[in-house]
Amino acid sequence: MTLKLREVVVRRGAFRLEADFEVAASGVTVVFGPSGSGKSSLLSSIAGLHRFEAGSLSLDDRVLEDVSAGIRIPTHERGVGLVFQDARLFPHLTVRGNLKYAERRRPAARNAPIVIEIARRLEFEDLLDRPVRNLSGGERGRVALARAIVSAPELLLLDEPFAALDGRRRRDFLGLLRELSKEQGLPMVVVTHHIDDAAEIAHDVIAMRGGRVIAHGAAADVMARPEFANLLDRRDLGSRVPASAIAGGAVEGVWVRADSVLLASERPRGISARHVWEGRVATITRETERGVLVSLATEAGYILSRITPEALVDLQLEQGRQAWAVVKAHAL
Amino acid sequence: MVRAMLTPAELQILSTSLGVAGRAVLFSMPVAIVFAWALSRPRFPGKSILDTIAHLPLVLPPVLVGYLLLLGLGAQSPLGGWLKSSFGIQLAFSAEGAAVATAVMAFPLMVRAIRLSFEATDPGLFEAASVLRAGPWDRFWSMTLPLAWPGVLAGAVTAFAAGLGEFGAVITFASNVEGETQTLPLAINAALNTPGRDDAAYRRALISLTAAVTGLVLAEMLQRWARRRLEA
Repeated sequence: MTLKLREVVVRRGAFRLEADFEVAASGVTVVFGPSGSGKSSLLSSIAGLHRFEAGSLSLDDRVLEDVSAGIRIPTHERGVGLVFQDARLFPHLTVRGNLKYAERRRPAARNAPIVIEIARRLEFEDLLDRPVRNLSGGERGRVALARAIVSAPELLLLDEPFAALDGRRRRDFLGLLRELSKEQGLPMVVVTHHIDDAAEIAHDVIAMRGGRVIAHGAAADVMARPEFANLLDRRDLGSRVPASAIAGGAVEGVWVRADSVLLASERPRGISARHVWEGRVATITRETERGVLVSLATEAGYILSRITPEALVDLQLEQGRQAWAVVKAHAL
Repeated sequence: MVRAMLTPAELQILSTSLGVAGRAVLFSMPVAIVFAWALSRPRFPGKSILDTIAHLPLVLPPVLVGYLLLLGLGAQSPLGGWLKSSFGIQLAFSAEGAAVATAVMAFPLMVRAIRLSFEATDPGLFEAASVLRAGPWDRFWSMTLPLAWPGVLAGAVTAFAAGLGEFGAVITFASNVEGETQTLPLAINAALNTPGRDDAAYRRALISLTAAVTGLVLAEMLQRWARRRLEA
């Protein structure tokens, strides 16, 4: 499914959103950017909750909004689902009532799991008859996701759906999202400002800053660009390693922070680290007095490492020289 | 128990009052819901006019409201004549008329309670409903009303309690007909105007007070329950 936005402008008070991009929304697309960059506004605009000031939006050949042509399909006819950050469960209904609400309004021609099936899948079967006010944050998130899936949209937008989760539950949830997207053949666009989450599930990435889309395309490509690095805290600088290059359960890829990568000028032997990649030094950037960023071109892609200026001298690293990147399994 | 405590005449008065107030609530509720919904919208042309109409009965003398009803719906008026010839309905000087007069007087109270309830609903929930394919009409029935109905109910109970005490508009439009339009306040007034019936006036006043307080307490309880329900 192709999601296309052409010269879209949306104004919300003093905030201005501009978007012009096209993504092959198949599997999971991540909208990444710092807080206040317009990620949520972008989702709301695609869902039709904010009116465009200019531009057009289409899903495949279906035009959802086109200001110059005077077209604006209302939200309830777009077939675009949205899971809100705050879940927005209906307080006058039980958990089951919330799911049934979506089920009753689903077009007969569209397939989706039945209520009990999805409740079992997301592990809240025993909550079905509870009023929603008694649910925890994590439970709310799961019910909101189930409700959106039961409604069988053509495209599902998710606004930081795992904000209320942490640690292992969060990883499980990410894996589940990816599986559901695959099983249901349901393209998802997921907002996050966590780089680890983004690397883990993104097939494609839409990078945003200050209300603008600054890069979009395949995750491997977008996450390697210098303008993408500008979106990150110094601490989070690093590189995306594709899932194919590592052992373990990553879905799409893993974000490896520059601080957790060691460099060696000779092939390391007798060490405990599980991941050693051979490559050649591509760039050397002096970051501060105390840090130098070295990018190594390896078969797993570019790997960024932060070392001290003294280490740079000791290892005699220079552009084109052979070197090894070493990463502890824990960092993956 | 009520039967044992009240005389047949008092029972008659009480049942007239309950009937009039009950029908008044039924008459004004649908209109009040429409007004309240419109007034809870952010802005539209004519909003202040609508707001004025909704509040008018609160500031007009009740006798004037009764008189205006008589002019508009009395047997001599075109509308009143048409109602009478087409449907055989005569509002002036009838129990239905008393209910209409009471409905008009209780209208602002009802609109206010329902409007507050509409305004207290989280607009985000309506967005959530629309991404689940609920259109505007669907959202009104599946979200707006169910979320606000404790407020609607509280408004109805308040209007009912207030309706039990409506005097000026009722006596002007429906007159004081025993067993037909003589509600509690009209009966108190009648007893006060008859020498030697202080005792009856006193008893009727007590009944009236009890009914009003019960209504208010009930409305308060409903409102508290509603607030809890919407705090999910």
